[in-house]
Amino acid sequence: MRFIARYAKDKGRVFEIVTLYDTKTEIEQVHKQKPIIKTLSHEHPVALWFERKMQDDFGIIVEDAFDKRPLVHQEQFPKNVHPMCKDFNEKELQYSKFQPYNYEVINGDGVFHVSVGPIHAGIIEPGHFHFSQAGEKMLHLEVRHFYTYRAIEKMLEGKTLQEAKTIIERISGNESIAYQICWRDIMLQASQQELPKSLQKRHAFLLELERVIHHLTDLGFIPNDAGFGAALAIGSKLSEDARRKMKEITGHRFGFSAVDFENKFIDTASLHTWLDSLKEDLEYFEDWITDIPSLWDRLDTTGILALKKAVKYDTVGVVAKASGLAIDRRINNFYLQNGFEAVTQLSGDVAARFKVRIAEVKNSLVMMHNFLEEDETILKLDSVQDGEYMSFAESSMGELFMTIDIKDGVIERFFSRDPSFVNWQAVHLMMRNDIIADFPLINKSCDLSYAGNDL
Amino acid sequence: MIKFWNKRVKLGILTENPELEDEIKAIQKEIKESVKKKFAGSLALRMVDSGSCNACEAECNALANPYYDLERLGIYFVASPRHADVMLLSGIVTFNMQPHVLEAYAQIPEPKWVITLGDCPVMAAPFEKTFAIEGPAEKHLKVTHHIAGCPPSPKEIMQGLLEFLKKI
Repeated sequence: MRFIARYAKDKGRVFEIVTLYDTKTEIEQVHKQKPIIKTLSHEHPVALWFERKMQDDFGIIVEDAFDKRPLVHQEQFPKNVHPMCKDFNEKELQYSKFQPYNYEVINGDGVFHVSVGPIHAGIIEPGHFHFSQAGEKMLHLEVRHFYTYRAIEKMLEGKTLQEAKTIIERISGNESIAYQICWRDIMLQASQQELPKSLQKRHAFLLELERVIHHLTDLGFIPNDAGFGAALAIGSKLSEDARRKMKEITGHRFGFSAVDFENKFIDTASLHTWLDSLKEDLEYFEDWITDIPSLWDRLDTTGILALKKAVKYDTVGVVAKASGLAIDRRINNFYLQNGFEAVTQLSGDVAARFKVRIAEVKNSLVMMHNFLEEDETILKLDSVQDGEYMSFAESSMGELFMTIDIKDGVIERFFSRDPSFVNWQAVHLMMRNDIIADFPLINKSCDLSYAGNDL
Repeated sequence: MIKFWNKRVKLGILTENPELEDEIKAIQKEIKESVKKKFAGSLALRMVDSGSCNACEAECNALANPYYDLERLGIYFVASPRHADVMLLSGIVTFNMQPHVLEAYAQIPEPKWVITLGDCPVMAAPFEKTFAIEGPAEKHLKVTHHIAGCPPSPKEIMQGLLEFLKKI
């Protein structure tokens, strides 16, 4: 049974705790006077962050947890403030006295610690990594995030689904289309409507295009982090080409506000030609890069995540697939009819994640041909019904989960679990046999989102 | 390796100036000249993300691709604020990042400037003010120039940098 998410809702006198698995949903209620729950982190280690987040957001006490440190609230965040409770309405917070965070470290003779971040040397998002080192060898790594915490969950409360869209599509820039597709599915469920096939194909095309852009960028950056810059020149050229196509089709380079219910004209003939030329370029790239032994020397056997651990940590997306775990939200009739093939590798190392990305792009290109259709359909939406809705999408990083409760026509509770939220918790497992200089390479091979993780 | 060189010869130089070719060419000349004059040939930027969605960062990374190749103009992204002339600030300045942004700014040697990138730092993005947001950036830092857009395209960033160079 795969654990997906655990989150709480403020229901007046009680807190409702929802635990979602791939096969079932468990709902538990605890009284606000005595908000105590039991931890699931012994069976599912990734439940830990969900529980620590609940503790910060709502003040729920996880009685038997071995880790009760704050997660979202950092050193200077006021104590005993639980902003996701309905009675919290402040728009300004005062910084409180600095209280050091107790990092999870290994100590001993000659063991030292290295802190990296939140601001990194490259052009990337903020996050903190805390290493325990024995010389060059990494003994342990603690990943600490939530620097980009914007309180999106609170921000969306009280808005209609339409109003929420512009914010939802900007939660994580690299996964915008996936977030919009989750929003779309909730919109459709709430207005009890079916999506016409042609619109479904248009959205699926955009989702694959987003995946292609993201994977191509990584195909350049992963070798670059191993000191092989030529690959970055090619990878970034191809991803720029793809991004310009996104602009051509949707009017925006990242596809913000691209998923709507109107099928606009696209020039299918020129897109077919472009897909073919991209396929050719990619085949050249693969053929060329497979022949560079000094690069594979770095990629092979670096950052191994064993299958057993990938299962235990309920990982998703590229990380899971590279360890042999075929978890993909696209395994359904619609995608299978259009040429979807599950991609997996067995070695679980950086090389495997690199190969999964190449194979996924190739598969996406096949599907994109099938998704192209000239059809101008418009779907008129009915009014939104109150209720509790859930949806999933396969973003370029993995399975994205979103849930929205609607009450009196506006959002009562919004929660989304980015694929990165679970995968970040498995990153420290990949460091066991490697030196600290391998860390950027391993981190890039997973290429997880910080903004989507932090919300 | 033969394969690679064959491909390279076939592809030629990709660095181009999409759309507005002449205008951009003029901009590049101007940028090059003012960088040379004002920053002794190299303008060092320190990118700091104070809580963005990663789109602005992706566009800054795109500035290094063969089409734009920002470094040929003498503008570099550097790895430490201590090497920088300018802090390029993206993101909405979250409660959790604000102290770190100020710390990074303090590390930049004088003279120093701040350029805000994208709609977030001026609170023009759809995100609304919450308890976890400390924006706009102006509240905390003296901002010399702003490059608008959500996110600004690489071309717009280049144009924005030129406007900044004209301003100072």
